Amino acid sequence: MSTEQQPALELDDIQAGALHERPSPYVGRYLLLRLHDPAQGRELVRRLHSLLVAGNRAQGAGAQAWATVAFTWAGLAALGVPRSSLDTFPREFREGMAARAHELGDVGASAPEHWEWPLGTDAVHVAVSVLARDEERLEAVAAGARARYEDLASVEVVWRQDCYQLPSGRTSFGFKDGIGNPDVEGSGLPARNSSERPIKAGEFILGYPDETGSLPPMPQPDVLGRNGTYLVFRKLHTDVAAYRRYLRDRARDRDEERMLAAKMVGRWPSGAPLALAPDADDPALGADPARNNSFGYRDDLRGFKCPAGAHARRANPRDALEDERSVDVRLHRMIRRGTSYGPLLPDDVLEDDGVDRGIVFVFAGAHLKRQFEFVKTQWINDGVFIGAPEESDPLVGGAHAPTDFTIPHVPIRRRLRDLPSFVVTRGGEYCFAPGLRALKWLGDLDS
Amino acid sequence: MTTADQGTTRPGIRVGSVSEFTLFFRVIPGHADELRDALTALQNTPGYRPGDYEVAIASIHEARFALFDDDTRLLFATSFDGSWDAYMEDFAAGPLQLFDAIFRHTEGYAGLPDVAAVKEFILGAQVTAAAYARNYPGTVKELRKAERLRGAFDRVLDDPRAEEALSHPALKPLLDEAADA
Repeated sequence: MSTEQQPALELDDIQAGALHERPSPYVGRYLLLRLHDPAQGRELVRRLHSLLVAGNRAQGAGAQAWATVAFTWAGLAALGVPRSSLDTFPREFREGMAARAHELGDVGASAPEHWEWPLGTDAVHVAVSVLARDEERLEAVAAGARARYEDLASVEVVWRQDCYQLPSGRTSFGFKDGIGNPDVEGSGLPARNSSERPIKAGEFILGYPDETGSLPPMPQPDVLGRNGTYLVFRKLHTDVAAYRRYLRDRARDRDEERMLAAKMVGRWPSGAPLALAPDADDPALGADPARNNSFGYRDDLRGFKCPAGAHARRANPRDALEDERSVDVRLHRMIRRGTSYGPLLPDDVLEDDGVDRGIVFVFAGAHLKRQFEFVKTQWINDGVFIGAPEESDPLVGGAHAPTDFTIPHVPIRRRLRDLPSFVVTRGGEYCFAPGLRALKWLGDLDS
Repeated sequence: MTTADQGTTRPGIRVGSVSEFTLFFRVIPGHADELRDALTALQNTPGYRPGDYEVAIASIHEARFALFDDDTRLLFATSFDGSWDAYMEDFAAGPLQLFDAIFRHTEGYAGLPDVAAVKEFILGAQVTAAAYARNYPGTVKELRKAERLRGAFDRVLDDPRAEEALSHPALKPLLDEAADA
């Protein structure tokens, strides 16, 4: 297909959660459902469809709550989607995240045999997330969702995870998260990064040309795939005490501790990027969505401001690799909708309190393999692309944990040694969030 | 030429950070002369001229095209930093398109700009090496940095005060290398 004619995004058919930013702060809930009977499963889908139709109509300033519905491959099978259709989904989705654990670096303590049940098993069929500005409104929308399944005896809630975003946007490590999302062409949302052309909608929503100029491979029939997106969710436990102890042990004083932490993340706690604020945090910059994602690394290829191995620069190297022509970063962008779970570890506590806390990482995109899996395996877990093959991401670890982390600095670089992995994968799933017409098609399947 | 099962991945062999990448094409009958001209033109572009050492694709260690079987077949063989499977989409979308003027003389090439077709064309031509070895580790980036460091060390040694400067205990590992560096 030619890239010249861009079909308009059918925003009223795309689940609102895929493209829209969330309110901040918010509270939310993830539910995983298991379907024991296809007919009742389809009844559930019909009811959830009406919930999402109402939600999409309410988008905008007046929205009170947001719901998203997605299915695993096993879930689509459990609904009675015919084999001929199931076979048209990409291999990664059919296999599921647990089967990809070795490639993804989910080994050791992060290996699927240690995951929370039912994550990574074929008992996970439907994923529902609901978000609202506060507990009261969340309870209202959750009650609405519950009313849609509780009289269906064969629909079983197998997992529930409450989550939240603080007003500061900060996660358990103490840094504001979720800033670096791409601007999506045709989404109607304000552009945040003036130094990057908006990314083609087909990179995130099926049925539209992507950055290669082609249509992404789309599951069939057409009505099922169009306006859908793949969702990845991963529950990631964060060992905040170990992270703090590591920094405390390596830093001469609290200022240096803050600096080392910022070098590892690529941003300051406020969200201010090192590329724009190399020497000290700048809370006004961190809080300004028009500025905090509007930068590149072209003036800092050697990483004196932001190390090439910093977490945020790994996850999105922006223009740092432009001259190399080996990789097109626009093929590896991700919409992230991550969130926090568990109580924060109080400031200055250095001993683990045994409480589970962390991040639910959520990805949305049209290509599981060349977006999520590429970023995780080539940029986070590995250091070949920055000429440091033995280094992994200093914050979330990877294939080489314990790893080293190099901080370029004049006159002499600093190298942190033996960083353990501060993050443990508790489990996750690859899901497909269909468009609303596709959801109706699923609900009306006649098997 | 053997072709592997459709839909399966046939990655190049990886040694350390480096993957080999080997493609075999059939030359369109009657195109041999034009293809030779295109290869000569490539050899004369900046980066490909002998001694340039600046191939446009920064992750490539070396690359060669070879015509064989009386100019009826074309080999492209290279080694690059990274994983074969992960980078194929990028190669099809960008760097391999630099070879459009060459590939258009080979069978099965539908031309630009259809990236999916380019990818299929490349996958159809790829053959995994039966044996592959490397004589040095490291990525292109590391090797370039090592070259830069060696140059700097040479300049230090050329300074008449080098021996005195390197006699500091902290510099012993450098002094140990200085005798025949």
